Amino acid sequence: MSTQETKPIRTDEIRRMLKKKRAKMKRLLSHCVHCSLCAESCFLYMAHDKDPQYMPSYKVLQSLGKLYRKRGKVDRPFLEHIKGIVWRNCVLCRRCYCPIGIDIPSMITFARTICRSQGVYPRVDESVSESWL
Amino acid sequence: MIVGERKPLEEIKEMLKDYKKVLNVGCGGCTSICLSGGQREVMLLNDDLQNAFQGNPVSIQFDGFTIERQCNADFFSELDEMVKNYDAVLSMACGAGVQFVAERYPDRPVFPALNTIFVGADRDVGWYEENCRTCGDCILGETAGICPVTRCAKSLFNGPCGGTSKDGKCEVSKETPCAWYEIYDRLKKQGRLSNIMKVRPAREWHNQTRRVLIHEAYKQRYAK
Repeated sequence: MSTQETKPIRTDEIRRMLKKKRAKMKRLLSHCVHCSLCAESCFLYMAHDKDPQYMPSYKVLQSLGKLYRKRGKVDRPFLEHIKGIVWRNCVLCRRCYCPIGIDIPSMITFARTICRSQGVYPRVDESVSESWL
Repeated sequence: MIVGERKPLEEIKEMLKDYKKVLNVGCGGCTSICLSGGQREVMLLNDDLQNAFQGNPVSIQFDGFTIERQCNADFFSELDEMVKNYDAVLSMACGAGVQFVAERYPDRPVFPALNTIFVGADRDVGWYEENCRTCGDCILGETAGICPVTRCAKSLFNGPCGGTSKDGKCEVSKETPCAWYEIYDRLKKQGRLSNIMKVRPAREWHNQTRRVLIHEAYKQRYAK
């Protein structure tokens, strides 16, 4: 285990990052009308028998949405859980289509940036059960 | 996947010796997966550079930041704000990423930390093999999925040459299988040996100029 993996989560840094983009991200999050059109454009959703956890809107709400709801007060297991959503369940191909114009990939990217800031990101040498690369 | 490997530390050191604040930018794409330019490699290189410059008359500050992809402008917003605070940028992306970063920040010197080696596949974790030279005119359908451009030492289109040993090895190295020997074997197994009798004309090596590809559906959008 690297030293970074044992370091405490700097919630103040997460809060600062969330605050910086709060206006834009909140607007994007609140504009989702759950029409599920983004799902049809996600190849991972289609390839996994339309499993709802691969819906782009679900991925955003369960990652960045929760980070905002918790106001950044999260721990490492929570970020590890988010890591699975924003890396394993999304390859950032940027093909998700939103009729309202919500920039879903930018939100996933932001969630990844927050995870990275705390040293949470996928490792190729993770144990097989954890690895998704 | 594009595969790269870190340049020798001395070479990187030489490029950066005249700067005081350097931002080392990792790439979350291919070079991250091939363990040469991701977030962890950024940290390791920065540690190596700090040590290498220890005792330098002027201290150099190395910071790191990783973006999801250095070959797509949509992922640069965070970096845009950071770069202005640094004298130079070190990129741990492939050659495409380095050029994309250099184009975006023309007033900052941008240096490559990696050598881009090839387009290849993962044989196993940490084991990569070249499979494609991106020649732009794929003939894998005729050669049983074995690329003679990449895997024949002479990139022969109508092989094999006279240097193939009896056990199917290349004259360049006894460790290297002859691509055309393998093509013959596989075509034979598939009952498509007649493919090998086709004489292919000399290639137009049009990759001497920069290639641009615009998807059919987007041609109208980008029409000049």
